[in-house]
Amino acid sequence: MVNRRTVLSAAGLLLALLLPPLATALGKPDLVTLGTQIAIYAIAAASLDLLIGYTGLSSFGHAAFFGLGGYTVGILAFHAAGEPIFGLLPGATEAWIVWPLAILTAATAALAIGALSLRTEGVSFIMITLAFAEMFFFLFVSLKTYGGDDGLGFRRRSGLPGIAPRDDVAFYYICLAALAAVLFLFSRLVRSRFGQVLQGIRQNPRRMAAIGLSTYRYKLAAFTIAGAGAGLSGALHANLLRFVSPDMLHWTMSGDFMIMVVLGGAGSLVGPVIGAAAMVLLQSWLAQWTEHWMIVMGPILVLVVLFARRGILGWLR
Amino acid sequence: MTPLLEVRSLIRRFGGLIATNNLSFEVATGEIHALIGPNGAGKSTAIALISGEQRPDGGTIRFNGADITALPIAARVTAGMTRSFQITSVLPDFTALENVALVFQVRAGHSFRFWRPAATDRALIDPAHAMLARMGLADRAHIPARDLAHGEQRQLELAMALATGARLLLLDEPMAGLGTTESQAMTALLANLKGHTTILLVEHDMDAVFALADRVTVLVYGQAIASGPPDEIRANPAVLEAYLGEEG
Amino acid sequence: MTLLLEQMLNGVQFGVMLFLLAAGLTLVFGVMGLINLAHSSLYMIGAFAAAWAGAHGWSFPLALLAGAGAAALTGIAIEVAVLKRLYQRDHMDQVLATFGMILFFNEAMAMLFGRQPLMATVPGFLSGSVEIIPGVPYPLYRLAIIAVGIAVAALLYVLISHTRAGMLVRAGATHRDMVRALGVDIGLLTTGVFALGAALAGLAGAMTGPLLSVQVGMGDRILITTFVVIVVGGIGSVRGALAGSMLVGMVDTLARAYLPGMLKTVMVATEADAIGAGLSSMAIFILMAAVLLIRPRGLFPAHG
Repeated sequence: MVNRRTVLSAAGLLLALLLPPLATALGKPDLVTLGTQIAIYAIAAASLDLLIGYTGLSSFGHAAFFGLGGYTVGILAFHAAGEPIFGLLPGATEAWIVWPLAILTAATAALAIGALSLRTEGVSFIMITLAFAEMFFFLFVSLKTYGGDDGLGFRRRSGLPGIAPRDDVAFYYICLAALAAVLFLFSRLVRSRFGQVLQGIRQNPRRMAAIGLSTYRYKLAAFTIAGAGAGLSGALHANLLRFVSPDMLHWTMSGDFMIMVVLGGAGSLVGPVIGAAAMVLLQSWLAQWTEHWMIVMGPILVLVVLFARRGILGWLR
Repeated sequence: MTPLLEVRSLIRRFGGLIATNNLSFEVATGEIHALIGPNGAGKSTAIALISGEQRPDGGTIRFNGADITALPIAARVTAGMTRSFQITSVLPDFTALENVALVFQVRAGHSFRFWRPAATDRALIDPAHAMLARMGLADRAHIPARDLAHGEQRQLELAMALATGARLLLLDEPMAGLGTTESQAMTALLANLKGHTTILLVEHDMDAVFALADRVTVLVYGQAIASGPPDEIRANPAVLEAYLGEEG
Repeated sequence: MTLLLEQMLNGVQFGVMLFLLAAGLTLVFGVMGLINLAHSSLYMIGAFAAAWAGAHGWSFPLALLAGAGAAALTGIAIEVAVLKRLYQRDHMDQVLATFGMILFFNEAMAMLFGRQPLMATVPGFLSGSVEIIPGVPYPLYRLAIIAVGIAVAALLYVLISHTRAGMLVRAGATHRDMVRALGVDIGLLTTGVFALGAALAGLAGAMTGPLLSVQVGMGDRILITTFVVIVVGGIGSVRGALAGSMLVGMVDTLARAYLPGMLKTVMVATEADAIGAGLSSMAIFILMAAVLLIRPRGLFPAHG
């Protein structure tokens, strides 16, 4: 069945694959960085959508896991160039060590925060996830060893065999591949038994309890998986900039991820990708036009919520 | 023979209000037992207490001989009871088939399976189809639940309740909002379950109650004022005064 | 010992600020079911309005009034224009729309007043210190804030439990339809509650001016602290907001005052400073985690 969405998805994929040569042809190499940014944010947004769109959990603390993933990369690179951690563990810069560790760190934090936050629901859940993320923000602000407020720069991207770390085009394709892998995993996940349970919880938690399901552990598992996704995204983001700072964990970052999910269309796999692209492009376009771009972005957001709740995807459908 | 469900001296307060006041009754295996009473008599609270959604402030609930007063909802479902809701409560975005298949999935144990698609899992789909057929919904399997007629949603709810494998169904007004024909169809479905599945039925539709129930317990102000076969209840002067009198 | 007393007064004073913010936020949630992030913008607008009024020669009480008034008017405007449409929506929508408002108001303030912090001064008649406890001189201005907080708490208590409007607010929280059936104009009631909450936020902002700098985004951090207050106190309850405010204000102030010093007894001074600063800014979140473990619905939940 060929419908509008399939055509658009195929066109989007083709555009993503051909972006670097197109950027060269147009004489705008910055587009590759923009594309990388979109792919990275899309990973975080897609993982947040697992919570918002599929499980019905409005988490407002996703930036915490994004930041933890980033700082894992940054801190390990910092120690690789200097003294071992606590004088014991050496740092690392190889992607195959650093990225899984970033994912693991974020997932562990998500497990802990989720275990507490999921004892509540609704508005309390929103406030609590926001507050715990703020706690991690303060933690990194106070860690003067790792730059505190100013953040922490490092010299080289995580190493992958056979790929030059400075090659922006190669890094773009790595991020694109990571996004594709995450989307593929999630597409299996949401259709699996586990995914059915999550969607059941979103639609009617009371009914799910009445048929004998303890919803808590499934929500916690989803929260942890989403945290892991954000961790990967943060690790890639740290690599893109070769810099991490508490800004990665700032509460407005969590807000931005939420916007991407809703702007694109919650409860679908491509929605967050579209949302991430729309958000990054809109920001960079508005920023060219005026330094006060937020004064336009804010009302756009209000209008989207009021009148276009199903997001860009709902409008394409 | 021990009763399947035994409620003893159940008490539940909401602030200063007593919703359930020293309530005791029994449901025998295989019977349809109706719980009736005027609005605010505490019928829904009784269902919520038995299903485990609320905790009593006193008294005991025994199911199949075991004390379940302190068990969480999920453990009670595993033990063999489940409830339906007054307000239709299905999963609106899922098809009828997915609704029932999900119940079979939960019944099969944990759902920490992340890879294989559930939609093609024969272990879930086959029994779900069979259950839909039994409830007269065979040709509606692939319709999203939100698009089903109200009566069909009610049938789907019953299918979901039965799919848990429950020996005891706690049905909270299954006829609510149904037209005459739909009510009759639902009554017939429930009558078919008689003997296989024990039912505690809260219902305002007296025609359905007297057509289905083996025994009736009358609740007034959270207390059971009478319990017995329908004919006896119909003739009970206290019931007529407290309950039927009010209606007429 | 005298230092401890002083720090505890500081804790109460911070608690009062939090209460002024939390009371409005929790009332709006209790009655309308709305989570309003832009509450932080109302606080900021109150601070800017008061600082502007002060700089243009208004007397201090008038400047406070200007702060509360500007916030209330802004509150009424956004309630009528946008928020009314969001009461029946899910919390996700409310969060996103009010987040959009924060972006707008932050940028608008930056365009009007620039990004440089404004300074407000303590008015002459409130400068200096008094010894309310012999041997503990304490700034008069901070005492005045505490007094205002006590007055507002008393006023809210009388308003909510002893007036017809308060009765409607209490009933509206649980039985919206019933209140509507009584023929009450719900729209007027919600706007009124919202304006009251906004005025309190504006008042808090206006009073903060002489203590902290007035700048864009100043409300965002304290908003999150206010969320901690509400979670700790129990959502939707003004009593919970009061208890939560005092607890959070006290824990935060004492942790910042004493944690680094206590750590110095067990580790090197420079490290203790760094870790102490981190730990003390995390203290209220650890408090929140502890409350969640023991009482997931907060210390004074609104219903039941």
